[in-house]
Amino acid sequence: MSASHLLSFILFMPFLGATLLFFVSNQRRAIVQGIAVTFAGLSLAGSIYAMAAYDFTKGGFQFQESYSWSKELGISFFLGVDGIGAPMVLASAMLMFAGIFVSWHIKDRLKEFYINLLILGSATIGVYMSLDLFFLFFFYELSVIPMYLFLTIWGRHTKGYLDMKKAGDPLSDSVAHFFNFNRSSKEYAAMKLTLYLSLGAVVALMGLLLVYVDSGLRTFNILEIAEKGSLLKAKESLYFWLIFLGFAPIAAIFPFHSWSPVGYAAAPAAASMMHAGVLKKLGHFTIIRICFFLFPAATQQWMPIIAVLCVINIFYGGLVAFLQKDTKFVVGYSSVAHMGYIFLGMASLNLISLTGAVFFLFADAMAMGLLFALAGYIYYQTKTLDIPSMRGLVTKMPFVATCFIIGSAASFGMPGAMNFIGELMVFLGSWKIYPVQTVLAALAITITWAYYFRMIRAMFFGEPDPKMAHLVDARGWVDRLPLVLLASMTIFFGIFPAPFLNVIQSGVAPIIARMEAPASIPAPAIAAEPASLPIDAIPPAAEAETKTEPADAAASGGD
Amino acid sequence: MPPLNWADLHLTLIAPELWMTLLSCIILSIDFIFPKFSKTALAYLSIAGMGLITLQLVGFALGGVRGSLFNSMFVLDSLAIFFKIFILVSTSLVILASIDYLKKVPLFRGEYYYLILFAALGMMFMASANDFLSLFITLEFSTFGFYILVAYLRDDIKSNEAAIKFFILGVLTAAMIAYGISLIYGSTGTIYFREIAALPTKNSVGLILGLLFVFVGLGFKVGAVPFHTWVPDVYEGAPTPVTTFLSITPKAAALAIFLRVVFSTFGDIRSEWTWFIAALSIFSMTYGNITAIAQKNMKRLLAYSGIAQIGNILIGMAAGTKMGGDALLFYMLTYLFANVGAFAVVIIFSNLTNKDDIEDLAGLNRRSPLLAFAMLLFLLSLAGVPPLAGFIGKVYIFAAAVHQKMFFLVTVGLINVIISFYYYLIVVKKIYTLEPKETTPIHLSMPMKVVIYAGIAGVILLGVWPQPFIEFSVAATSVFTGLAAR
Repeated sequence: MSASHLLSFILFMPFLGATLLFFVSNQRRAIVQGIAVTFAGLSLAGSIYAMAAYDFTKGGFQFQESYSWSKELGISFFLGVDGIGAPMVLASAMLMFAGIFVSWHIKDRLKEFYINLLILGSATIGVYMSLDLFFLFFFYELSVIPMYLFLTIWGRHTKGYLDMKKAGDPLSDSVAHFFNFNRSSKEYAAMKLTLYLSLGAVVALMGLLLVYVDSGLRTFNILEIAEKGSLLKAKESLYFWLIFLGFAPIAAIFPFHSWSPVGYAAAPAAASMMHAGVLKKLGHFTIIRICFFLFPAATQQWMPIIAVLCVINIFYGGLVAFLQKDTKFVVGYSSVAHMGYIFLGMASLNLISLTGAVFFLFADAMAMGLLFALAGYIYYQTKTLDIPSMRGLVTKMPFVATCFIIGSAASFGMPGAMNFIGELMVFLGSWKIYPVQTVLAALAITITWAYYFRMIRAMFFGEPDPKMAHLVDARGWVDRLPLVLLASMTIFFGIFPAPFLNVIQSGVAPIIARMEAPASIPAPAIAAEPASLPIDAIPPAAEAETKTEPADAAASGGD
Repeated sequence: MPPLNWADLHLTLIAPELWMTLLSCIILSIDFIFPKFSKTALAYLSIAGMGLITLQLVGFALGGVRGSLFNSMFVLDSLAIFFKIFILVSTSLVILASIDYLKKVPLFRGEYYYLILFAALGMMFMASANDFLSLFITLEFSTFGFYILVAYLRDDIKSNEAAIKFFILGVLTAAMIAYGISLIYGSTGTIYFREIAALPTKNSVGLILGLLFVFVGLGFKVGAVPFHTWVPDVYEGAPTPVTTFLSITPKAAALAIFLRVVFSTFGDIRSEWTWFIAALSIFSMTYGNITAIAQKNMKRLLAYSGIAQIGNILIGMAAGTKMGGDALLFYMLTYLFANVGAFAVVIIFSNLTNKDDIEDLAGLNRRSPLLAFAMLLFLLSLAGVPPLAGFIGKVYIFAAAVHQKMFFLVTVGLINVIISFYYYLIVVKKIYTLEPKETTPIHLSMPMKVVIYAGIAGVILLGVWPQPFIEFSVAATSVFTGLAAR
């Protein structure tokens, strides 16, 4: 339909890189690294161009591409980004690119690591740009398995696993009894993550199949369902909950969060970056893309429940983070807490708060990416992430310490970082709708300050530990590039957020408009740019409409 | 009954079976006339012959050659062509995978190929069976070869035990089917599918009871719970290539008959049998997946996973629509490549170590990255992970059931997907994370390489470009005219 192949270029470059890597020997590290960097870089360049070229005055889904994939099932390979997708595609490409440098020094099976990372990166990118429910789910599922391999192959055991092993009884807790591996082992983390997310995925699949069947349109095309899916009105709440509960676990909403900190802690640095940075945001994104966009009435009805859950997320995540002794666990739980702010912004359902929430998604991706990259570097140097056993690292690694402080400052919402703007907008937007939750959430920022300051003080300041005398700072461009990239993004767009905010607002506005007047404006996003829909075999829509008319009339009469 | 009219007989329709008979006779004759003739060459000869027959069938499919013979006891329609091509392709892969394994079998290596071809011939007839009599005869015809094949390692006690179990239960099944057929004949006065389909009322007790007996028999053949008890033991005891064969081809052939019976003969009384198929499906999925978790032997694990997969496949049948049939056939295609591939890896290991424990796979990634990657793909395809074939198959089959509002069935199916993730991923973990006990690299022989590459190509191709295969399935089910579309 359109001549633009930009999105498929962004999406398939990492896949192509992964395919090429299969044919390179693991011994030739320079070639392996070169291929990975080249293809991730091409993808990053493409996504920067997409972000810059996105016309926010026009809004809607741009750079659309559509290819028929299966006529029988009504699936088309339909790509397009709006103001929400474009920044997240950029974030994914950026973290993938940074992740390749962060894992530069991996000794064991580097080639396989990069293959995994590239597949994970393009799967995430695929979700952010899919406009077809089937492919959205396809890429979502595809992103889970690389995480399993990351955790089991390159992961680390968490907490006191090794001590337990020394004590001679490695399998001595309730989990071990059932699953045959210990609660602190990386295998447990990997399996828990995979099963949690897959369980969510099948719930979502049920919801998606119901939407597919009940709409009577024989299509998975999101835009077409939004426009013509009047048959879906009857059971909107059911679809909303199936899809929400399906995708909320990956967004780590309470009480489905428990896989996430342990998952980050066990994962290698690049995988935690990807996961905390962009994979987790798939949850918010898919909820906005599917629930908010297709089921505005049910969303308005049920989001107040989420507004309560998100406060639990904020406090629970924050307080648990305060008690952790492992850097990655602190950052991991802080990430769980941040998800609460994003959900608060989403629950308020107005332009400012939702724009803030999406902006926060991007900001958190950068900050979490930075922090996990640093945690990975520190682990690579010290072989531990145990906070009490580290002291005075600032004398040995001032550059790392600086970046860590920037990342933490961003994460606790220091003015001048992107997160601050996101948080502020969420609070501003939510204040009128959920004053109690907003006040509580704002108060909880002090908890965030507390644990970040505590961690920074313990790790970087104080008398240097003589055992840590061998440490070296991030010196070469390979080590510094990802840190500089992410830190400068955070600060630069924290000071000049306008380009992002304009784009995001153009994506959020139609969703809010649909929410406020669902009957009169069927799909403003399509009105902005009429999409020539790829599937011509559409069952009689007229018949469907006549059937629902009485229901509509009854509904409006009731009002 | 009208007398057979020889003038109407078009032997073209039965030509693939005739060629197959000729091929198996040639293989057998060469083997005993020239005992020095290389057995490997026999294998390649069989594959070449089957390749030609497959080409003829493809020609039939494209040229629109259809028809029925012998008073429509034998029918060649698009469904039969689909399953015949399926049977020939899977048999060829199995023969390729057998070549290495058979070098270690001391006796009767030539007859092995003959028996495989002979069983395949029986199954090709099954795909065309169009009345209850030919159903019975072809079913027994194809099982006959398997009784011998399962016992092929005659000095191995497990192989003998497997054969006896298989034989006794197989004969019991035959008796059940025969009894069911007699009930059906008694209450309707006919054994032809089309005449039964044309009956105005089909709710007589004898007919329903007879149908249940036939279902039980077919349930045995496909290995659905609660008729699965022979599966794990026979799979474990039989020579691994025979297990591979047993795990895919007879299931396909039995499903061909199953589909004909339920979809075209009893398609209009769907409500009478759908609960039975749905119950088989639920039990098979749940039992298969949960029991698979506890397995220590790779062949047993794949046996239980196969039971669970049959449960998934039966979802499509329980839906009882044309879409269900399409999904079922497509699922069989995805299962073919993933399953044969996974078994090929097991064959390579049992050649190497003479054992097939899951523990032996530990550290496979260090010994042979290709094999480890292949096994990863096959297991993930069986689990249903994109972008592999199994994912599309699962979504397709669940979509068909959701169309029929079978929510309970779909929910059980989805939960089982998660359970199956667990045990497939445990194997993946062993392959990738553990350090191997032996570090010698594994060398793959040419035929095994071909099987592995075919499996990889199959699971990826069907996953990323399923459209031609879906069309192939849709064309095959076009024979079921009386069904709802979805």
